[in-house]
Amino acid sequence: MQEEALGWVIRTRDPDFVDWEAFTLWLEGDPARADAYDALMAADTELDMIIPPEPVAMPVAANDPGEPQRRTWRWVGGGAIAAALVAAISVGMMTRADIYTVTTRPGETRIIALEDGTQIDVNGGTTLRLDRNDTRFAALDSGEAAFTVRHDEANPFRVTVGDAVFEDAGTVFNIVHTRDATRIGVSEGKVIYNPEAQAISLPAGRALADDAQGLRVMDVAPAAVASWRQGRLVYANAAVSEISQDIARSLGVKLNATPGARAMRFTGTIRLDKDPARFFVGAAPLMGLSAIRTGDGWVLKEGNGPQS
Amino acid sequence: MATGLSELFMANRAALLRFLRARGAGENAEDMIQDMWMKLEAKEIGPVADPLPYLYRMANNLMLDRYRSATRRERREQDWAEGAGGVMADPADDMPVDERLILNQTLDEARAVLRALGPRVELVFRRFRIEGVGQRAIADELGVSLTTVEKDLQKAYRAMIALKQKMDTA
Repeated sequence: MQEEALGWVIRTRDPDFVDWEAFTLWLEGDPARADAYDALMAADTELDMIIPPEPVAMPVAANDPGEPQRRTWRWVGGGAIAAALVAAISVGMMTRADIYTVTTRPGETRIIALEDGTQIDVNGGTTLRLDRNDTRFAALDSGEAAFTVRHDEANPFRVTVGDAVFEDAGTVFNIVHTRDATRIGVSEGKVIYNPEAQAISLPAGRALADDAQGLRVMDVAPAAVASWRQGRLVYANAAVSEISQDIARSLGVKLNATPGARAMRFTGTIRLDKDPARFFVGAAPLMGLSAIRTGDGWVLKEGNGPQS
Repeated sequence: MATGLSELFMANRAALLRFLRARGAGENAEDMIQDMWMKLEAKEIGPVADPLPYLYRMANNLMLDRYRSATRRERREQDWAEGAGGVMADPADDMPVDERLILNQTLDEARAVLRALGPRVELVFRRFRIEGVGQRAIADELGVSLTTVEKDLQKAYRAMIALKQKMDTA
């Protein structure tokens, strides 16, 4: 039964699965089957924690004994082309010929123009995968990026973020993805979150967060979305833990915060400054915090102490 | 709610109810159908490409949520009984060094398990499990049969779930 249940886990996890009647019939065969399925689905969810994030490097030769090769492997040979086309940006591990990785160092930003007219502003400390053969695909593995999407009703732009998918409906939106949170803000048009599952619609002025507190939808000022592109960070009642990650990414500094400081919240606009010392002199008191320089980074702590 | 979807919901109410019962909803099945109805009414849902599977998936997700919150509650009560409750660790806190070490070891092990399955199996698993690409699309991409993709996924899942279980009992 475990084997059968696993089969159903895989089948029902497929975005194109339609045969729910057959699944119902299987479940009705034995009440224990629903439990086995639930347990395996829960195990499947827990796999998130142990799947190593980096993409696979494919070898040139494919071994598939017993299975006739209907086509040659598409990525063979294409790697060089993709690498040449994106020579200006750093190319990471190649998964398939058409997938390439864009990586920015903390503090470094890039603008990527896709052939279809879509623009991606990549903030510092970010890893993004794009597909040469499919300009409507992006996977944000970590960090932050703002998407200005040329809308195409027939072929929506989709961003994969961890397990979630955001699908545009004519849009400017910003996504942040860290180890324990995903946040998206929409400034124009509309984005659909997980169109095949929850299908939550996010019009302009709405934001969605998925973190330790669960999945939440909230309001956001459209002008505040992706404000880092204008050298500003705009917040409404945001936790300092979140803000400090944004600062670290934007300035390229190592930044920690004491637990007390992390729990504090801030509403307002912080102007970015590439000089961290000058930045913290202005920004820390604004948040009711003080910044202290440590070995190779900075620490935010509570109170308006003297700035070092 | 899109009127097409509401008509479809009413037309398939019995089938969805039967599905929820088969999924183990028991006497709560009626309530859950009601919940679904309310969710559908409250939500602004654009045109859905394949509406009936969408409704089934929604029902299935409700059951998965129920299972998840039930096990979470169980675990919390257990933690409480074992005296570990009271203070919930803030996941946003920086991970202590030893935990990070364990996590790194875990990821190394998982990496080795995936590697051992062979590059195609690993690629298929990642495309399906992380990027949410359907099996048909993966098969087309790789130029292999759908059966091959299904077998690869089963293999990868078995190995990864076995690894997870081994870690949990360790």
